[in-house]
Amino acid sequence: MLKDVTFGQYYPGNSLLHRTDPRIKLLILVEYLILVLVASTELAAAVSIMFTVFLIAVSGVKLRILLKSVKPLIFVLIFTALINLFFTTGESEPLVDWKFITIYQEGIRSAVMMLLRLLSLVLGSSVLISLTTSPLELTDAIESVLSPLKLIRVPVHEFAMMMSIALRFIPTLIEETNKIISAQKARCADFESGNLLRRVKALVPILIPLFVSAVRRAEELADAMECRCYHGGEGRTKLKVMKACARDYIFFTFTTLLTVGIFFINNITIAGIVELCRDIF
Amino acid sequence: MSFIEARGVEFYYSPEEDKVIKGLDLKIEKGSYVAILGHNGCGKSTLAKLLCGIYEPTEGQILVDGMDTANENLSFDIRKKCGMVFQNPDNQLVASIVEEDVAFAPENLGYPREEIRRRVDEALKTVDMTDYAKHATHKLSGGQKQRIAIAGVLAMSPECIVFDEATAMLDPTGRKEIVAAMKRLNKEIGITVVTITHYMNEAVEADRIVVMNEGEIIADGTPKEIFSKVEELKAVSLAVPQVTELLYQLEQDGFELPRGVLHAMDAADVIDAFIGGQK
Repeated sequence: MLKDVTFGQYYPGNSLLHRTDPRIKLLILVEYLILVLVASTELAAAVSIMFTVFLIAVSGVKLRILLKSVKPLIFVLIFTALINLFFTTGESEPLVDWKFITIYQEGIRSAVMMLLRLLSLVLGSSVLISLTTSPLELTDAIESVLSPLKLIRVPVHEFAMMMSIALRFIPTLIEETNKIISAQKARCADFESGNLLRRVKALVPILIPLFVSAVRRAEELADAMECRCYHGGEGRTKLKVMKACARDYIFFTFTTLLTVGIFFINNITIAGIVELCRDIF
Repeated sequence: MSFIEARGVEFYYSPEEDKVIKGLDLKIEKGSYVAILGHNGCGKSTLAKLLCGIYEPTEGQILVDGMDTANENLSFDIRKKCGMVFQNPDNQLVASIVEEDVAFAPENLGYPREEIRRRVDEALKTVDMTDYAKHATHKLSGGQKQRIAIAGVLAMSPECIVFDEATAMLDPTGRKEIVAAMKRLNKEIGITVVTITHYMNEAVEADRIVVMNEGEIIADGTPKEIFSKVEELKAVSLAVPQVTELLYQLEQDGFELPRGVLHAMDAADVIDAFIGGQK
């Protein structure tokens, strides 16, 4: 039942994005989000789409796997596009005016823009983070990027430690869940029939033993960690130290320039370019 | 002075409940290999946690290499000296990758990176798991997980390791691996080993056995001495190793055989000598 559950979607590889320092990738992700959300004109949208295509190209992730990550979101994408299509009003005459459906030119434009924007967000963040960064790298990167927050007493180290322990225990708990399910099935528990309420009720005898055991595990783990001299992040060193190389900085600078640039590109209209060309010639 | 010294130790989890440990005195010498035997609920696991300073004695005192476990300022020094391997291999591994888990303790102690690397490699070599350094911990077998747990403790370079029923959840192969590792740690590296168990065949391997019942020590001696007292052990619902049991039963049936024989080959010799004597 739970055999196919994998955490994250890490796609092992050795592409440019795989080798990029995870901290840099996190920063690039932030810039990328700004870039995609700010781009509002056709030209700016084209630039942001080009950048997305560039990211996909350097990630080395197969298109088939990439599309898999979009699949669960198809409904959301279509729904958002339709809402934009029907509920955007414009100043010009409606293109379609049939009973309660009215579609304006602006509606089509904003539907397409929204669709492209969301699609870029999903694809871009998948290739930047979830597909090319292992969960452990990600935890380390989050700890490192958020470390300035320690100054205002945000428990960054504890948060990262919790995340990495959670990741460590996912396979253990999945295994345990399967055991409990088998044990309950052996005693004629029925998880597959009945209406929704019945099925939800059938989960209770799985969840309660699972929680009880998780609490017990946590207690033992705490003792074991204490025995190995764990005392929070203070004075702690690391076996693996992340190192950003020149290539990572170039990548980061490039994205930064592009993100700043997008604000200017937004102000350039196609009519403006045509005018500019006419002035020159 | 002994490496670990318990003086009049009493312990209870809450004042309303019965005492788990009742006035216990125990000395463990440096470099020794001690098994603590007892049936479930006799306080042996509690004693293990007291020895490593996870619990503080309610009454009395425990000194590890002269340091009082009740002194909070010394708790890291005590834990560095006296590591602990727990029963459930899954619940004591902290990281998803083998070498990162072994690195956990030296990371906590704030050693520089090269030093951590050196300790991790050495610890993995000692438990013979070097080839698995980059493997995911959840894919290992029980015995291998437990060896990683031992490596995790070894990375602190402790002088003593307490095994709290470390073999109880393993299959026979895993159990053999861990007992072999304990023996090697004790004989080759000179680490003091305290193993808490209810498997008689494991206790036989130790140099000294301490038998506990209801929070008290009821017998203390070499395996040969302890397993000679078959009646006393049975009175506290403990079994003796199969070989010892066999000779005991034969003795009950009127054959005059010596007691305290622990290994199958020795038993064979004893019986052989007996038959030879009859002729």
